[in-house]
Amino acid sequence: MSVERRETPWIRAKPQTRFRGGEGLEATLLVVPGVALMLLFIVWPTLNAFWLSFHRENLLGTSREWVGLANYAEMFRDPAFWRSVGATFVFAAIVAPVQLVLGLVAALMVARPFPGVNLFRTLFFLTTAVPTAVAAVAWGWFLHPVGGTLNRALEAIGLSRQPWLTSPELALPALAVVTAWAGVGFTAILLTAGLQQIPEELYEAARIDGAGSWTQFWRITLPLLSPTLFLVALLILLSSLTAFGQIHLLTRGGPMESTTVWIYRVYQDAFFNFRFYYASAQAVALFLVLLLLAALQFRFFGRRVHYG
Amino acid sequence: MKRVILLLALALGSLSLAQQRVTIDFWHSMGGVLGEATEALVKDFNASQNRITVRSQFVGSYDDGLNKLRAALQAGGQGRPNVIQVYDIGARFMADSGAVLPLEDLARANNFDLSQFVAQPRNYYSVDGKLYGLAFNSSNPILYFNAQALEQAGIPYRNTWSLADLEAAARKLTIKDASGKTTRFGLTIPIDSWFMEQFSYNSGQFFCNNENGRRARATEVTFNNPAAVAFLDTWARLVREGVAANTGRNWADSQSLFAQGNAAIAIYSTASLTGVLRQVGNRFPLRTAFYPYLNERNGTAIGGAAVYLIRGFGEEQTQASWEFIRYLLRPETQAKWIIGTGYFPVVRGVTELPNVRQAYVRQPNYTTALRQLETSKVNTASAGCLMGGFTEIRQIVQSAIEEALRGKPAQQALDEAKQRADQVLARYNASVRQ
Amino acid sequence: MVSLPRWLARPLFYLGLAVYAFLLVLPLLNLFAASFKSDGELFAPGFWPANPTLEPYQEALQKYPLARYLLNSLVVALGTTLGVLLLSATLGYALARIPFTGQGLLFGFVVAMLLIPGEVTFLPLYLLVQQLGWLNSYTALIVPFMASPLGIFLLRQFIKSLPQDLFDAARIDGAGHLRMLWHVALPLAAPALGALAALTFLGSWNMYLWPLVTINRSEMMTAQIAVAQVQNVEVTSWNVVAATAILVLFPTLVAFLLAQRFFVRGIALGGLKG
Repeated sequence: MSVERRETPWIRAKPQTRFRGGEGLEATLLVVPGVALMLLFIVWPTLNAFWLSFHRENLLGTSREWVGLANYAEMFRDPAFWRSVGATFVFAAIVAPVQLVLGLVAALMVARPFPGVNLFRTLFFLTTAVPTAVAAVAWGWFLHPVGGTLNRALEAIGLSRQPWLTSPELALPALAVVTAWAGVGFTAILLTAGLQQIPEELYEAARIDGAGSWTQFWRITLPLLSPTLFLVALLILLSSLTAFGQIHLLTRGGPMESTTVWIYRVYQDAFFNFRFYYASAQAVALFLVLLLLAALQFRFFGRRVHYG
Repeated sequence: MKRVILLLALALGSLSLAQQRVTIDFWHSMGGVLGEATEALVKDFNASQNRITVRSQFVGSYDDGLNKLRAALQAGGQGRPNVIQVYDIGARFMADSGAVLPLEDLARANNFDLSQFVAQPRNYYSVDGKLYGLAFNSSNPILYFNAQALEQAGIPYRNTWSLADLEAAARKLTIKDASGKTTRFGLTIPIDSWFMEQFSYNSGQFFCNNENGRRARATEVTFNNPAAVAFLDTWARLVREGVAANTGRNWADSQSLFAQGNAAIAIYSTASLTGVLRQVGNRFPLRTAFYPYLNERNGTAIGGAAVYLIRGFGEEQTQASWEFIRYLLRPETQAKWIIGTGYFPVVRGVTELPNVRQAYVRQPNYTTALRQLETSKVNTASAGCLMGGFTEIRQIVQSAIEEALRGKPAQQALDEAKQRADQVLARYNASVRQ
Repeated sequence: MVSLPRWLARPLFYLGLAVYAFLLVLPLLNLFAASFKSDGELFAPGFWPANPTLEPYQEALQKYPLARYLLNSLVVALGTTLGVLLLSATLGYALARIPFTGQGLLFGFVVAMLLIPGEVTFLPLYLLVQQLGWLNSYTALIVPFMASPLGIFLLRQFIKSLPQDLFDAARIDGAGHLRMLWHVALPLAAPALGALAALTFLGSWNMYLWPLVTINRSEMMTAQIAVAQVQNVEVTSWNVVAATAILVLFPTLVAFLLAQRFFVRGIALGGLKG
């Protein structure tokens, strides 16, 4: 590995006329630890992910042999892989709009100050403070087939109980709602920040023109908020494509593998089916999809600030 | 790069502790009540002598434990335990791993008489004719009956049930309201591959080829055998007709249904007995019976888990581990372990102990598993299938069960699952050779 | 569009707010209620327990070393946060204030790192940490996450935006970069540091997949994994599971209520980084 060599250009501080001696040392001190850690824990694993995916292991994973693209070939033929890809996108396609709408409603209510606004902001942003495992347990109980409040409520209004997390049709959408719920606080915070950037004068002018709040929303709020909305949607997509904790806790990928999403498949193949390198190939494929989305986000929003 | 890693490791890694007594690590996967019982055994052992300290560690599920063992072996053995509990279906993997010190070798070296073992646990954990692991917690699947419901429906209690008899009883026990909605199910079975495996064995069929992998290494699964197909077909039919409940893969959901009186017959493990009894309380009297079969009762294989000794430790440590195993094999220890857990003993002579007999008199349901074991035929079918990749294959079987319960013909679901499972097995066998 | 009269609009607005907030918090309230129910009452109808009991908490605390798990999470989250603050401040400062060869390249590198989704590199990272012998240690949960491209990026932007005069004045007084970082940049960057700290703390506290695969000694488990473990073992005792979850939720909830400002700013900054 040529890691050390690649560090050198950054370590050597260019002596500036205005600066005195000893600054090279200071600069080195400031730069090297962070760069070294990034190289070791971000760059190296990323490169290694590709390298690993070209191998196959023996029973204990103590030796490996080069198999070229065999893992990828198998992946493309593997119906289980494609099912997990499908489940991932269905999942994300439910999470994104639900979380966006729930968060937007919350943000619209608390973006402008009114008496008691802080209390409601706290309540609306609260899910931010709820760890994934706690959110999953809360919903596991809320959706419980026998004791769950939701099923009780359904029964009270004359509908029948639903096997929310145990039926192959409902489990994935139910998990998506749990995920969206857990992200409401996050979305509401971002959209509130976005809404607050819209100048108040625009609304005043609209009111003078006699526009109702409905018209104001469609004519002013939505168009001006749309870049933020788009960005937030991308962020939600990115995070929902790698949602793991709630799935691990609530359904373990079942029933009928209906909630075995991409990252869950990777986890399962790597740690339970003892196919670390095949899992690496699947992880690399997921990586490329995420990179594409991240690049999209960057392309649309990066220019504003970087290289400032 | 290597140097950077080494420096960082030196700077940030944790230090190991110096020890005086011989300390051995024991990893187990017994949570809850069973975990408490396991910890109690370890505590007793540590108190019984002063040379060896067993450090026990709950490592999560069986899958977690196996995975962590593999990780440790991968890292050159660093942090591996001396003794580990691994579930039944990990037997082939443990033998193939080369990491296990076969129990038989140790027993012979220490003049321990292997004929003390009960046949089935010994057969199950023997690979290529050699005993590898000590059956620590052994269980069987059994039938659970709501005796009150049975009596009300006028069905006499029996000890042995063919699949056809069980179906007839389940139909009779089902209660539906005017709208046709089931208010009490006749039968509930958690979706678990284990019940398919056991039904094959109990009907004299194999779950994988080469006689359950006992004559030679298994190369194909045979879970689409006539018995398994008939079992799944009946199960799916009953679910579709509202006679059997489908509570998914979670045993707890099925158990609460049964314990609340909303299902009259259930299939669980003997190890579930303590929990189910507690949940049922005084709601109704509970009876247990032998596992069902297709035409003629052969015998069930044991389930549960075994403890294995890991290779590569010094003489002193290995000897200490063996002492621990010996302790677990003592009839008094076995007695303490089985009373209250619902598992059965793996060495002879335990059931004659007075405290065990008393416990069995107090709760006769605990004897069902034992009698089932005693009356099982000892052959390759009841030895249980030995093959690699079983964890993944169980998932495949469970998906097939779910498909069948939702309407796919049982034969077709199992045939398709076989295709997938055979690939897994072939890949596993290739990875052993590699 | 007919506008509602003001006397009606206001109460309706508050009603809408209250209903929405209630629905959002409902699953948590439900969990809270369950954590005070006895075994017998758990499956009985009724949202709130008729006879609230602390038994589930007693059982949870008695059976599981929850204090230890919370301590583990705290050590990991604090360690990661301190590491991130330190490295982001130093590297951020260097990128903003010390001209050196390859600076632009290095900044480009940091920005590129921003794009790499960490969840996907966890397999090779796992192998690395395993080779280093770090499995089952705080080290495994802290060190790989100390260099945060997002943190470096944010602080670089922030320090760059500070007025040059302040640094010039310090330089005239003979200050070197370390002193300028400590005495000039950091005090002024306090809001950014606070936001970054809140964001990092939260992220670290919430880690799930990584501790799940790197930790197998029970005394090293973080609170998140402990919740999963308890839920796995106590399959039918939802009240005990609920009590465990509430105990794990409590510290983050308090931290959030106390430092809401920082959390909100951290998320807004982190999310809208682009």
